[in-house]
Amino acid sequence: MNAWRLTLAHTRLMLRDLLRSPAYVIPTIFFPSMFFLIFAVPYARRVDRADFVTLSYVAFAIIGVTLFQFGVGIAAERGRPWERYLRTLPVGAFVRFAARIACALAFGLCAAALVALTARLTTPMDFSPAQWLRLGLYAAAGAIPFVLFGIAIGYWASARAAVPIANVFYLLLSFAGGLWLPPQFLPGIAASISPYLPTRQFGELLWSILGAGDAARALPALAIYSLVFAVLAAIGYRRDERTRYA
Amino acid sequence: MTYLQLDAVAKRYGSVTALRGATFAVGAGEIVAVLGPNGAGKTTALEIALGLRAADAGTATLFGGSPKDLATRRRLGATPQQSGFPDALRPREIARAVAAHYPHPADVDETLAAFGLAALAHRRVGDLSGGEQRRLAVALAFVGAPDLVVLDEPTTGLDVESRRALWERIRELSGGTRAVLFTTHYLEEAESSATRVVVIVDGAVRFDGTPASLRERFGVRRVSYVGPDGPIDIATGDTDDYVRALVRSGVAFRDLQIAATSLEDAFVTLTGSRR
Repeated sequence: MNAWRLTLAHTRLMLRDLLRSPAYVIPTIFFPSMFFLIFAVPYARRVDRADFVTLSYVAFAIIGVTLFQFGVGIAAERGRPWERYLRTLPVGAFVRFAARIACALAFGLCAAALVALTARLTTPMDFSPAQWLRLGLYAAAGAIPFVLFGIAIGYWASARAAVPIANVFYLLLSFAGGLWLPPQFLPGIAASISPYLPTRQFGELLWSILGAGDAARALPALAIYSLVFAVLAAIGYRRDERTRYA
Repeated sequence: MTYLQLDAVAKRYGSVTALRGATFAVGAGEIVAVLGPNGAGKTTALEIALGLRAADAGTATLFGGSPKDLATRRRLGATPQQSGFPDALRPREIARAVAAHYPHPADVDETLAAFGLAALAHRRVGDLSGGEQRRLAVALAFVGAPDLVVLDEPTTGLDVESRRALWERIRELSGGTRAVLFTTHYLEEAESSATRVVVIVDGAVRFDGTPASLRERFGVRRVSYVGPDGPIDIATGDTDDYVRALVRSGVAFRDLQIAATSLEDAFVTLTGSRR
């Protein structure tokens, strides 16, 4: 059977289900732009500042989508009878996973585009076409550890615990990573742990587009985080498979 | 032609033995009911047939291959468990997505209409009644036009009228080479619709044959009459013998009745429990 067609069918089903639940759509798509309006706009009066915080909030938007789409999504679905039914259909885990990634991509693009649009309308932000291109590439690369982090949450947390856990990580790590307010404004403790956080390294990677961050340090740091989260995700996945479908 | 073959399948969950060497087969054109008390291993047998679980010992063969293979599952249709749908989706969306998995699916709208869901095709699944969701679940098992349909308690929670209507539909769609394997708590469904009955007790197949032969082998007849001390109602394996002895004893009796055996009685004899 045509794997493309099946991936499309699963993506469409998943997107429809998600789009019809406001509790999912609002936090993932609108929160980053709302936070941008509240925290970033007053600060972003100059072009350099506006460019900087726009990149921060693009990272914030992408992290939200990955943690919710993968973390909360997997945790909620893996115990459901519907998931058990889908496993009786002639479809491999690969197609189902591809559909989830496609959904995350769609929501991630929407959330990030909304941030960029908000920035364009409310701040003097200005990127060159080359900067936009680098932003796209770095955003995709920087999303990888958070996708894996999301999967790990999805398999380790119960359906009920996944939402608060994802939220706590999302908000705390984003704040301490300097994504809401630039790192130099962070209070004492947050400032000292900030450089070790994956959110901060994602920010550094994106800020390097402006010459402000250090991509040569951020990329290896994000790779190490990816490895750690991949191991956690794999152990969680195996554990779930063993208990449910052995 | 054999579609599904379970051969000495054993399965344990920790210290609990769910199946201890269960063997049965489903072939073209058959409608097979799997019966047994709760916890006897019916669900585990079905899960292994559907490729959801692997047997510890023995083999499960689906269309000559493994139930875990996608190619074999393309000829298999199953029902979701009760109340398992994502609420926000609509019956037609779900049925179309399911049909997309099969090489030669049935017409989606016709299948929905066959199960009385035409008018509900664009409603939210969450707004459907339990009975309507049940019908959708069964429709999904048929929408791929598979050779083997597996229905896990398709009518649980439905009233008598809806059960009868649903079974009429299932029988209509089961002709020809298509086979149906189902579990049920309602023995009359096995009696009226199954061509064969497999009874699983304590993880092993205790009986495998037609509903009529199950009745004959394990059935009891009831003799009732009004004697000198009031009404008497007795279950016996041999009613002829009982009546002969009754007449010979010279006891006065009236209103003698001999009730035919039911599948329910046979089942109770076989399993030592109701259902």
